[in-house]
This record gives sequence, C-alpha cells and structure tokens, in this order.
Amino acid sequence: MANVTAVQEYAVLHAIVRARYSTMLTAATWETLCHARDCNALLSMLAETVYAPYLQIDREELTPRRAVYQIKKHLADTYNTIIQSTPESRQHLVLQLWRLYEIDNLKAILRGIATGATWEQVRYVLFPLSYFTVLRPEELLRTGNVNAAVELLRGTPYYESLSYALERYTTERSLFPLEVALDLDYLRALWDDVNRLSGEDYQQAMRIIGTQIDVTNLLWAMRYRVYHHLSEEEIINYTVPFGYKVRDEDIRTIAAGGDMTQVITRCYPDLPDVRSLLREPQRGLPELEIQLQRYVAKQCQTTFVGYPFHLGIPLAYLLLSEFEIQDLTVLIEAKAAGMPAEVFKPHLVLGWAHN
Amino acid sequence: MFLPQAMTEIELVVPEKDVLAVTELLAEQGVFHPVDVSHLSLEAESGSEDNWQQRSAAYSALERRVLTLMKTLNVEEGQPSPELAKLQLIDIDLVSLTIDHIEQEIQEITRDLEQGQKRLEQLQRYIYQLEPLMHLDIDISALRSLRYLVALLGIMPADNVERLRTSLIHIPYVLLILREENRQAVVLLVGARRDAGILERAARSAYLNPLKLPDDYRGTPDQIIAAVRAGIKRMEQHIADQKVEIERRHNTLGRQLRALLWRLRISRMVAEAVVRYGKRHYTYLIVGWVPTDRVENLSQQLHQVSSAIFIEARTPVRHNENQNVPTSLNNPPFLRPFQQLVTNYGYPRYAEIDPTPLMALTYPLIFGIMFGDVGHGAVMTLLGGLLISRRVKVLRGLGDLGPLIFLCGLVATLFGFLYGSVFGLEHILPALWLRPLRNISDILLVTVITGTALLNIGFLCYLANAWLARDWGHFISGRNGIAGIVLYWALVGFVVKTFAPNLPIPLSSTIFGLLAGIAGIAIVFEGVLSNWIAGRRPLLESGFGTYLVQAFFELFETLLGFLSNTLSYVRMGAFAVAHGGLSAVVFILAEMVSPSHGIGYWLVAALGNLVIIGFEGLIVGIQTLRLEYYEFFSKFFTGGGASYTPLKLLSQAKE
Repeated sequence: MANVTAVQEYAVLHAIVRARYSTMLTAATWETLCHARDCNALLSMLAETVYAPYLQIDREELTPRRAVYQIKKHLADTYNTIIQSTPESRQHLVLQLWRLYEIDNLKAILRGIATGATWEQVRYVLFPLSYFTVLRPEELLRTGNVNAAVELLRGTPYYESLSYALERYTTERSLFPLEVALDLDYLRALWDDVNRLSGEDYQQAMRIIGTQIDVTNLLWAMRYRVYHHLSEEEIINYTVPFGYKVRDEDIRTIAAGGDMTQVITRCYPDLPDVRSLLREPQRGLPELEIQLQRYVAKQCQTTFVGYPFHLGIPLAYLLLSEFEIQDLTVLIEAKAAGMPAEVFKPHLVLGWAHN
Repeated sequence: MFLPQAMTEIELVVPEKDVLAVTELLAEQGVFHPVDVSHLSLEAESGSEDNWQQRSAAYSALERRVLTLMKTLNVEEGQPSPELAKLQLIDIDLVSLTIDHIEQEIQEITRDLEQGQKRLEQLQRYIYQLEPLMHLDIDISALRSLRYLVALLGIMPADNVERLRTSLIHIPYVLLILREENRQAVVLLVGARRDAGILERAARSAYLNPLKLPDDYRGTPDQIIAAVRAGIKRMEQHIADQKVEIERRHNTLGRQLRALLWRLRISRMVAEAVVRYGKRHYTYLIVGWVPTDRVENLSQQLHQVSSAIFIEARTPVRHNENQNVPTSLNNPPFLRPFQQLVTNYGYPRYAEIDPTPLMALTYPLIFGIMFGDVGHGAVMTLLGGLLISRRVKVLRGLGDLGPLIFLCGLVATLFGFLYGSVFGLEHILPALWLRPLRNISDILLVTVITGTALLNIGFLCYLANAWLARDWGHFISGRNGIAGIVLYWALVGFVVKTFAPNLPIPLSSTIFGLLAGIAGIAIVFEGVLSNWIAGRRPLLESGFGTYLVQAFFELFETLLGFLSNTLSYVRMGAFAVAHGGLSAVVFILAEMVSPSHGIGYWLVAALGNLVIIGFEGLIVGIQTLRLEYYEFFSKFFTGGGASYTPLKLLSQAKE
C-alpha cells in the first residue's frame, strides 16, 4: 500500500523531473563547450541548449557575471516547479535545500554592507531568488549597517542564529561568526527535515542529502584546520556531529590534528589520490573538494536507476542541476579569462570526464 | 489557436505635455505590454533634474516613509479609492513637507517607544538569565574575579550545548544548563583558570554570549532581580503611555496617511512606467506590444487623448527571435487545463507552436486507450461535468480540472465501446473492435503504431517550428527535421522488412539502409549545415575531430531516442490490458466474498470499481502526462517564452 501511495504522490513530479533530466547537458555538449573558441562562442553554444531562453538579452549586457546570473535563473525556475509539485508533507525539505541560495545571498549582502558596495555591484552576484524568498536584498543593503540589516530580518528563519552571532560581530568586526552561524543553522535544519521522513523517502534523502552534509562538514573541518588554523574546540563547535557516512569521531580526529587521509579513505575508499592530495593540504584541498563533489554527483546519478517513486529523484536532480550551473560558471569565467581546457577541466564536476 | 496571438509592436512619439494622459489610457486599456527603451533617451535628458528615475526613487522613498509611519501607528493599507484611476502625480516637495511634519510629530514618541522596548527586552533577558540562580547567596560580581576558576554565565543556542561539551572533552569543566526554552539555553560554564583560553574559545565559538550586567546592578541574584523587576515595571508603564499617545495619533492621522500612501504608490507606478520610455527633448518615445487585433482601437483612442501623437505599428515576422516578443496564448476557456499542463513544462515562445490544442487532442486519446471502459468513462464524464458546473461546493476548488476529466471520460467511454467493457464486465456489450485482455499482441502492436503516429506529429511540429523560425539548417538536417524523419522511417522500414518479409513493401532492405545512411550523414553535419545556411562563421566551433566524435555520439543518442520513444508508447497497450485484468480481479474478489451474488458481491464490485476509477485513473493520467512531456514535447517544444503582461496600474496597485 505504501508503494501505491508513493506512486500516486510522486508520479507527476517524476514525469516532470524525468523530462527536465533529459534536458541536462550531455557528455558531447560538455565536450563542445569546453572547446569553445572564447566566451562569446561558448554563450552562442549555450544559446542552443536548455539555457537559451535565459540568454536572450543584448550581447553587450551579457558580461560573464551577468551570463552566470542568467543561467542561474534556470535553476530558480527548476526549484519553483519542483517545490510546487512535491507532496506537501515533503515540501519543507526541498524548500530548506533551496534556502542554501538564500543564505548565500544573505552572506553576499552582508559582505556588501561591510565593504560599502552599491546595489549595482551586488545585484548580479546574488542568486536570482524570484520565488519563496523572505529576503529583501535591496532594502537590506540600503541599511548600510550589519546590525540594522539583522534587525530587518526579524521574523525570518535567519534572525535567531544571527542575533546570537551579532554580539561577536560587534566586538570582532568580522562577518565570520555570522556566516558560520547561518551555515550551521542551515545544516541542522536540513538534517532535521531529512529525519522527519520515513520509508524509501528517508533512505533516499539520507543517501543524497546525508552525503552532501558529510562532504560539507568534512570540508569545513579541513578548511578550518588547514587555512584558518583554528583550535580543536573551535573546529568542533563550527562543525556538526551528524552525517551519513562521516561520524563525529572523524570530525574530531581532524579537529585534533589527526590523520585526514585516514578519515577520508575510511569514508570514501574508492576516492583516488587522497594520500597525495593531502600530502600538501594547502594545495590539495581544492582538488579533493572537487573529487568529493564528483562523488556526490555520482550518488545523484545512480538514483535514476531503479524504483523511481520517491523523493530521491527530485533531490538528486536538483543537486545535479546545481553542479551543472557550478560547472558552467567555471567554464564561463575560464573562457572569459582565456584559459585553455586542460587548466579548467580538472575543476569541473560533471563536465570533467570527457577528455 | 496553434500559434500565440499575433502581436504588433507599437512605437508612440508623444509630446511631453500628453505623456501622463497617454500612460493613463494605456493603463486603462490593459492591452499594452511595455518595453524598456530608456536607453534611447538623449544623455542630457536622462541626466536632467526632472529625471523620472529620480522621481520614481523619490516616490519610492516617500512611500517607504509613509509605510513606516503607518506601521508605527498601526494603520491598515486598505484599498485605493476609485478616483485614483485618474493618474495625478503627487507633488514631491509638498508631500515631503507633509511627511516631515507628521514624522516630527510622532518621531519623539516612536523613538522613545523603540528605545523603551529595546531596554525592556534587555531587562527581560537579565531576568531570564538570573532567575535560575535565585536564592543563591553569592555576589554575582564575584563570579568575575574567582582566583582559581573561570566562570561564564550566559545565554546560547540550545542546539550548540552538546557540541560545546564535545569541544571541552580534554579539560575538566562543569557545564550547568540553568534553563532551556525556545531553543535557547542559560548556562553556567566553570573550569580551571589555567584552561581559561580553551574555555573562552570554546564558549565564543559555541555562541555563548556572557551576561554583562550594568554597574548599577550589584549584589546577590535576588537583589539584582528585584532591582531589574522594578525597572521593568517602570519601563512597561512608560511604553503603555507612549502607546496611548500613538493610538491618539492613529485616529487623527490614519485617514490622511492612507490617502497619501495610495497617491504615492500610483505616482511611483506612473513614474516607473515613464522611466521605461525614451526621452527626446520635448517628446517621449513609448514602445510596447499590443495584440494585433487591438491596435486599431487603441490607436483611435490615443489620437483622442493626444492630437499630436505619432503612432507607428509594426507587426513582426515570427521568425525574428531576437525581438523578445511576449507570448499571449489565446486558447478557448475549455482548453485552459491543457494550457496549464503545457505551461507547467514551459511557456511557449512567440515563434513557436503552442502545443495546447495538440495536447487537448492527444491527452484524452492516450488516456482513453489506456482506460477504455464505458462505465468508468461515464463516471469520469459525469464527474467532469459536475466540476465544470461548479454546483458542488466541496468540488469547486477542482473546477479548473473539469474539462480535462470530462474529455478524458468521454474518450474512455468511446474506447469502452470499442473494447466491449462496462465496469470491467465483458459479457454485456459486444466489442466493436477488440478485447485487450484476449488480444494482447494486437493491442500492443496498435499502440506502438499510434505512438509512431504521435511521434511523427511531433516531427511535423518540429518542422513547423523550424519553418516559422526560418531555421533551414535544422529543418533539413535536424535530428527531428527531414533527415530525422527519413532516418526514422528508413529504420522502421528496415525492421518491418526484416521481421515481416511477407508484407508488400515496395522498397528493399538495401534501399532502407541507404536512406538511413544518407539521413545519418545529414544529421552528423547538422551543425555545419545550419551554420552555413545562417551565414554563421566559423562553421565548426571546435576542431573537426572533436566535432565528429561529438556528432557520432549525438547520432547514437538519436537512434536510441527513436527506439525508446517509440517503445515507450507500448505502455498504452500494457495499461489497457492491465485495466481489463484489474477489473476482472475485482469480480473474482467479489465472487469469493459472496458466491451467491449477495450484497457482499455488489459491495466489493462497487468498491473495486471506485478504486479503479480513482487510483488507476490517476496513474493512467500521470502516465499520459509522462508520454506527452517526455516523448512528445521533447520532439519540438522548447518553451522559455516571455508571458504577455500588459500595463494595468490600478490593479497592480491593489496587488
């Protein structure tokens, strides 16, 4: 009977996702895009894909930053469609996933306020959140003051975590505590939403979102240690104790200065070159990050094989769409900077395997 | 109907004195979709003091100030009064003075109120943190000057408490949760002074905000709490006095503020509309899109409000994609549910076939094939009729689905006659065509043929879209264009010839192979050909080798797509068989419950049929949608069009 209900609940959503999944860029398209002559040629090629409607603006206005902003609209539309078609009791999780972009926007606005940026400077750095947003970016920026901006967020899901961090901002004049507070709150809420699910939805969401949380948490711990040189107690407080494969002991090992290679190879035995990458972690960490994202992408792709009537299908598609946008961003910026394919290809998540 | 409503671009050159009257008319008519042509303004004009951009910003700022005042005085926005349909711009300086005056009048009260509320919150926080320590006979200030210990009393997110404990695992410490409510915790953290650094770092990174009492609060917790409570009482009285004062202002200023708000809002909207016009010395250039059949009427009315207006209308050819023509779908109301299904997938572009009528034909057809039953179809038809009539109150919310359910039910009934099935009973009516359960291979074959026909309609739509866009390259050698059609039919011919050699097909397998080869080569060079025809250079964006590898994979993908798309339609036959099977199961179950055909028999039969109509009907509906989206639309429909949103000032204001 559970299967019957699932079919009833997910059939429309599944049809929509399948139809959209078929419009994702193919291996052949990635290959062509990577070898585009320059940024203009790349945008012309993209105008032949599913991103075409978003790129129909004057070429002169289509700077690399604007192009990235435009293609992100595709993801915004995708989220809108999927959230509206997701069974009501599970919409919250997808909405929470969507909140990541809202948090990124909030961070960008706070940075804009701290640096005294204008709306025109900030505008196209933001994710185009036309749906489900509680932020009023222009108004927030116009306050010109972090404390006033936080006050303006009263009644939103972000106020509480920011209000705790505000005292530290006032004394340290650094946005770091505000940003970490937002990130931690986001991950906790996402985890809670996953744990509210049951049956196949829970299994699939745990596999996909849990893996994503694992990767984020591991990278946080490693970055705090390698780049920020934070103390053990700070790293522990700035990470989360839950995950799918990553255990709290793993995070604590990293925080305590233990062997990062051992942790990564225990969690992801099939990940290549971990030892050599972490021999010089300052240099190897960015590549390890890409390897881990590819692992998440692979988890998402495998979701499309097998029984399809569960929440995993839309979640996997949304993460894959995000990786596609991330890769396109790398590609657009690389082409604008005139980089050859062999330099930027290792930084692609979905578009890398087609040498 | 198959194409979006024809649109005409109109360019109006309007004398400066008439610009507001013209804007008012355009807004009243509600057919003008404006286009931003502000970049055509002369630089001197766009930088002038009488700039509409500045006016719009000024109105917006004033509107925010009025809204702030209204919020402070608890004044509702209400609705705009009817006379606001006449656009009269409010004088910025005058209204600014009025707002300054009102602000001054209530600023002192509001500032006092805000400060009082903040102070009250602060005092309540002290109480909240100190209450758990009540009856302790220690001086709170002594906690700050312990000799061998460090003590931190403060408030933190409750979610962080466990993590804080984990982070202190290597040192001796005591963490007492004194209070925990609404995801916040009051804690007392005590540790050795030698570990002060670790304790402070851990507390800070766990967002533990220590209690910082002002110097005038001294003594034991009980003494401080008593002093703070007295302060709270005074503050509450002060706030109450301010609120009474605000209520008085609410009564005297509410009406005035509401009127100001709506006049400012309308003025801002007008200014925002005019900002998008082009300013040339003493005239304005207004550009926008109007449905072609409304242009003449609009032009006449525009001439009436501005005798010196110059109007130029231009109806574009559909293939010029760069014009971003807005799409207005003009389907009859009963096709709206199908239109909704189409726009869920994507909004049609102007130079693109609107698939709504096709969907209205194919959706019920596919549904009917899968769900053919006179009884089940009739129930659905009745339900659809009921939904359309909107007579049943509880079903009104589903009213929009009425035509879709009605049509699907009607076609299902028709197929029920063809299958000879009434509520799953197959002995009452003769089958006018075949019984799916007894002719499984026949129904599967027929549905594959139907699928092939639908795919070919998709190909034809692709050709029509390519024709409309004058995209001859893709028209000729596109994978869904002529080359694609030839390849598809050559492969079909080859397969039929191989597996049914007795069928009288005039062409040999060799000819089919040859045709497939030629079409395949055309598809491989689709990109080159379309670049060549469109005059785009270079012909190859990347190297020839890369192009060939990519084209080969694309051809392979096309072949797989043809196969999977065609076979996908087998599900129509499979569902028709399943429908018959499921209905038979219902009667077998009914027979088991009551072999003598008593009340149990009819109860199970009725319930079973209800489940079939509700549950199987839903699944069949969804499978139909999947076939439409995935197999049919993917052949020709791109979407991504801009919807037609005409200027309607007052209704926008109400929104």
